[in-house]
Amino acid sequence: MTISERPTSHIALPFVEVPVTASTTFGVLKRPVSTTGWKSWVFTVDHKKIGIMYGATAMFFFVVGGIEALLIRLQLAAPNGKVLNADVYNQMFTMHATTMVFLFVMPMAAAFANYFIPLQIGARDVAFPRLNAFGLWALIFGGIFLNLAWFLGGAADGGWFMYAPNSGPVFSPTHGVDFWAFGLQIAGIASLSGAINLIVTVLNMRAPGMSLMRMPIFSWMALVVQFLLLFAVPVITVALFLLMFQRNYGATFFDVSAGADPLLWQHLFWIFGHPEVYILVLPSFGIVSEVLPVFSRKPLFGYPFVVFSGAAIGFVGWGVWAHHMFASGLGPVSVAVFSVTTMLIAVPTGVKIVNWTLTLWGGKLWFTTAMKFSIGLIVLFTIGGLSGVTHSVAPSDTQQTDTYYIVAHFHYVLFGGAVLGLFAGFYYWWPKIFGKMLSERIGTWNFWLMAIGLNLTFGPMHILGLQGQPRRMYIWTEARSGEGFFNLGFWNLISSIGSFVIALGVLLFLVNVVHTARKGVVAPLDPWDARSLEWMTTNPPKEHNFDAIPTVHHLDEFFHRKYKEDENGAMIKVMSAEEILTEQELAADEHIHMPSPSYWPLVLALGLPIIAYGVIFSTPIAVFGGIIVLFGAFGWGLEPATAKESDFDSPTHSGDQSEEVVPVG
Amino acid sequence: MADLAVDKDMSHSAHGSSTHGSSAGISNVKLGMWLFLGSECLLFGGLISTYMLYRGRVSQGPTPSQVFDIPFTSVSSFVLLMSSLTMVLAVSSAAKKDDRGTTLWLTVTALLGATFVGGQVYEFTAFKSEGLGFGTSLFSSSFYALTGFHGVHVTVGIIMLMAMVGIVQRGEFPGSKAETIEMIGLYWHFVDIVWIVIFTLIYLIPV
Amino acid sequence: MLASVLRRFRSWILASGTAVALTGCATNAAQDTWKPKGPNAAKIDNLQKPIFAVAGVIGVIVFAAVIYCVIKFRDRGQPIPRQTHGNPALEITLTIIPALILAVVGVFTVRSVFDLAKTSDTEMIINVTGQQWWWEYDYPVQEQFGITQPIITSGQLVIPAGTKVLLRGTSRDVIHSFWIPALNGKRDVVPGRVQTNRIEADKPGIYAGQCTEFCGLSHANMRMEAIALSKEDFAKWVANQQTGYVAPTDGTLAKEGETVFLNQCVRCHQVNGLTRADGTPAIAAADENVWSGSAPNLTHLMSRNTFAGAMFDLAKPSCRKEVWESDSATFGGKYLAGVTEDCLNQSALRDWLRNAPAMKPMYANPALLAPTDGKYRGMPYLGLSELDIEKLVAYLLTRQ
Repeated sequence: MTISERPTSHIALPFVEVPVTASTTFGVLKRPVSTTGWKSWVFTVDHKKIGIMYGATAMFFFVVGGIEALLIRLQLAAPNGKVLNADVYNQMFTMHATTMVFLFVMPMAAAFANYFIPLQIGARDVAFPRLNAFGLWALIFGGIFLNLAWFLGGAADGGWFMYAPNSGPVFSPTHGVDFWAFGLQIAGIASLSGAINLIVTVLNMRAPGMSLMRMPIFSWMALVVQFLLLFAVPVITVALFLLMFQRNYGATFFDVSAGADPLLWQHLFWIFGHPEVYILVLPSFGIVSEVLPVFSRKPLFGYPFVVFSGAAIGFVGWGVWAHHMFASGLGPVSVAVFSVTTMLIAVPTGVKIVNWTLTLWGGKLWFTTAMKFSIGLIVLFTIGGLSGVTHSVAPSDTQQTDTYYIVAHFHYVLFGGAVLGLFAGFYYWWPKIFGKMLSERIGTWNFWLMAIGLNLTFGPMHILGLQGQPRRMYIWTEARSGEGFFNLGFWNLISSIGSFVIALGVLLFLVNVVHTARKGVVAPLDPWDARSLEWMTTNPPKEHNFDAIPTVHHLDEFFHRKYKEDENGAMIKVMSAEEILTEQELAADEHIHMPSPSYWPLVLALGLPIIAYGVIFSTPIAVFGGIIVLFGAFGWGLEPATAKESDFDSPTHSGDQSEEVVPVG
Repeated sequence: MADLAVDKDMSHSAHGSSTHGSSAGISNVKLGMWLFLGSECLLFGGLISTYMLYRGRVSQGPTPSQVFDIPFTSVSSFVLLMSSLTMVLAVSSAAKKDDRGTTLWLTVTALLGATFVGGQVYEFTAFKSEGLGFGTSLFSSSFYALTGFHGVHVTVGIIMLMAMVGIVQRGEFPGSKAETIEMIGLYWHFVDIVWIVIFTLIYLIPV
Repeated sequence: MLASVLRRFRSWILASGTAVALTGCATNAAQDTWKPKGPNAAKIDNLQKPIFAVAGVIGVIVFAAVIYCVIKFRDRGQPIPRQTHGNPALEITLTIIPALILAVVGVFTVRSVFDLAKTSDTEMIINVTGQQWWWEYDYPVQEQFGITQPIITSGQLVIPAGTKVLLRGTSRDVIHSFWIPALNGKRDVVPGRVQTNRIEADKPGIYAGQCTEFCGLSHANMRMEAIALSKEDFAKWVANQQTGYVAPTDGTLAKEGETVFLNQCVRCHQVNGLTRADGTPAIAAADENVWSGSAPNLTHLMSRNTFAGAMFDLAKPSCRKEVWESDSATFGGKYLAGVTEDCLNQSALRDWLRNAPAMKPMYANPALLAPTDGKYRGMPYLGLSELDIEKLVAYLLTRQ
């Protein structure tokens, strides 16, 4: 991490590392200045480093959640499973879902959003870089805090939906639910701060000429997601506070003997929880909407339709929450209304599938691993979408809800949709992020193992559910699993085998990562003949992203700089990526001051789990945590985002010294 | 809050930029604050809904009409509303770079806010002595949660105001003091408006 | 209208049904949602099968389109295609078509929702109460069915076939969900609320179900069955449930078992009409010992063929099989015979009495009951001697 940075092109003088004098806040902490080593990561405010750390954190929790899933499937491979007892099983499925939703898919989407939104819109960083770092640390501490419960008396055991009153102190006497509530609360702070940050970034910091309708589709979908987060997170915050007050301070919110209505929790949870589904899946929709055009060599079919359908999903997503409660006893009027709104939301979702398919149509398809994952998403998400339509029909849903049919449905949506999209993103953007190509050979195996494994795992769950196997049961019994070769026992076994095939696929991805890091091929500047702005800089990008902020004239700006249509309508390459980069470097801005690293986001975030631990176990600890938060906030407030001019020992200047300071936004 | 409001706006750290084309025409910090307040609406919305659902559910302990002292709360509400006025004066002094005026009005605003919080602490203590604990009934739980959350918001606002007084005195601050004070003002007005809603719903509309 | 649509889709339904069966479904899965055995479930089934068919067709079209693209448009060195940005007319068409399909589905859905919520045609009412981790059924007085005093039973819900039964469900602790797939969809039972659900069985028979709202430790073990009897058989069942207490003959093992029961079991479990040695009625005080406030009524334990939340069979496998697999004509007689000594699943019942918490996960460890003020959730370990168990089993066998 450098505090002062100049363009490092072949024409400018090479950047010289110069010691800097660090300013201090309160005279306590010297401003971090390391440009290498762990300190350059821990105290960074660079959106790219933060994005990578989000990704690494998410990948770690993906493995944790995956191991939990494997244990669940081991337990259910045979009747009356003995691998886990009822108590541990209940913790396992609760934590599997919580981990995958809050600690894998959301942070991984945040990783891509953090890394690529500024690059795609032609900005040098996000609007609030330190807030960005704070979000990362809050997520990491929240995730650790959530999982700490495993070692302190048992994890949460009420399911990720944590229905009251089963989550109350009587029915869940360990501290698991407390850790769960606080862990999510802290992760929620991360999401909220990230949402504000990225919305401001997109709305205020786009490159000249980049109107919203020229913005790359991934940035669009990420923007919709940030709005969903902005309004959904406070609702779960309220629910979690009520739960926490009940468990720790004797409040009565969900105490039926005091007259409470347990459906209050369900409404609060699902008003958050349904937008959450779109929060999980829209980023991946954005990713495949980038990947499909690149490898089809033609623009996204109906870009405005995809944008508006994404926004429509964002809006209608607020009006469907009660379809999770068709069996709760809402009364026929509510059920009918929510049934219809749920069908309504299928329309914009269908639009996306149509557009992706028509993007392929008439293209020149190049089946890279990223492309395979994207096409896999179209097919598998369609299955999940259609099974979703079957239970938008409320009467059918009363047969299907809380059975494995639902488990099948949302895994096709979340694994077939969200996760495959994220993997498409890994393979597509790896060269951009790390400057090396992931092995396509391993990638192909990775894809097929995951695709086959996921169909083996979740396909049979359709049958299991429709034939009456409920969810969340630590054992199933042969007495109810029917007869014949294809009885429910058979499908349970297939499902368990499939889960290990998926695991093998994921393992191959990790192998690919290690292999690429050791002896991967150095990525060419434009390995995929890509279309959007993030490819108009080096691999990996310089710290300040762009030497000169490009002026945008088209959707798919990069492609239109490379290709022109000749008089016959054929696309002719007029410029190479290297030439475009050189052009940019020649026009490089000088004296780009990037925001400086800071301790304060980390300090502030560190206070949060300490408060939480204190609330659960001992108030003085909570007070101590509060003091840390206050200290962090003051340190932050008094520290300039970019270190003062006097902190920059002037590097060996040469040539003319422009006084102009170029904006980093 | 403080962390958001004073985070340096990146596009504004640059002077005389002409390369920047596409923006919403409102500074990063201000846009961020508006978004945050939008999110806060949902937070209070959830708490208010909970209160409205539960306000009539008193299985034991006093009912709302037995504990509420409407004249007292009306006065403290008036005090809080007046603080919005003084906040406006602080913002305008800051815009005029009038440090003395700024300090004065920020201090007055903080004092008015503190009076309100003091009134709330008194009210809670009185309710408690009348047998209305946090866990007494659904009414009490949702009442304390809602008004308590609001009180915490006012307290955070007071801390920000006091910190700003210190900063104005010290004279040295990264970024624009006027803009930061404007942000605190936005937050302060929001908290006041929320109180108007809460006061109306809790105290003025009978169960 | 629905019927006509159904008729149009009948061949599809049959074809897809056959296809699914061929590709591998279990036969006789006890909780199969596609095998309705009553008008409410049939209504759902008639609604969902065409939708599955339509969804399947749409799926096939999408897959075909994707596969076509993948084969036809793969890179064979063709030039980079023209950069067309879409075709609004096509887009709008492809948006409207699914919207229209869904509008049709929506109309039928809304109608079914209201049909299935109807309560005005109710012929019989049964109160269903969920509790961790078993179900209690309580039949209010309904003279027309010969129910002249309330009947309380658990585990197996006995109903007359061909009768519109309205279940009024609630819970004593957490949310559970009552679900007999062959008779209707599920309906949560929520503490503090009473919610209704219609069920009706076409024919006599046994229909399996399962709690489907996660309700804690032994959620997986909270099962139930609905038993439909012909109207005559149901009357016999009602009559039996209302017979007065018949004490075991003095000097038998069962009589000694009655004493053990009075010492140990009656703390929670009620046997109607049972009196103490001094002649006072023995009233169970489950609310003092069990957090949720009740324990299964054992007055006619042997008239049901499961116990412990229908987790275990009270009848041994051969006898169980006979009941489950009998046809609707002979079913009633077999069920009403109850569990006789020959048929009793001795080992399961003894294991249960010996150490219930080892058989079913429950909150029964006295050391860990601080949050519930020392009350159990589930049945505790009683430390009975083998002899006591022997006596109890003998006594329980007389509870026909």
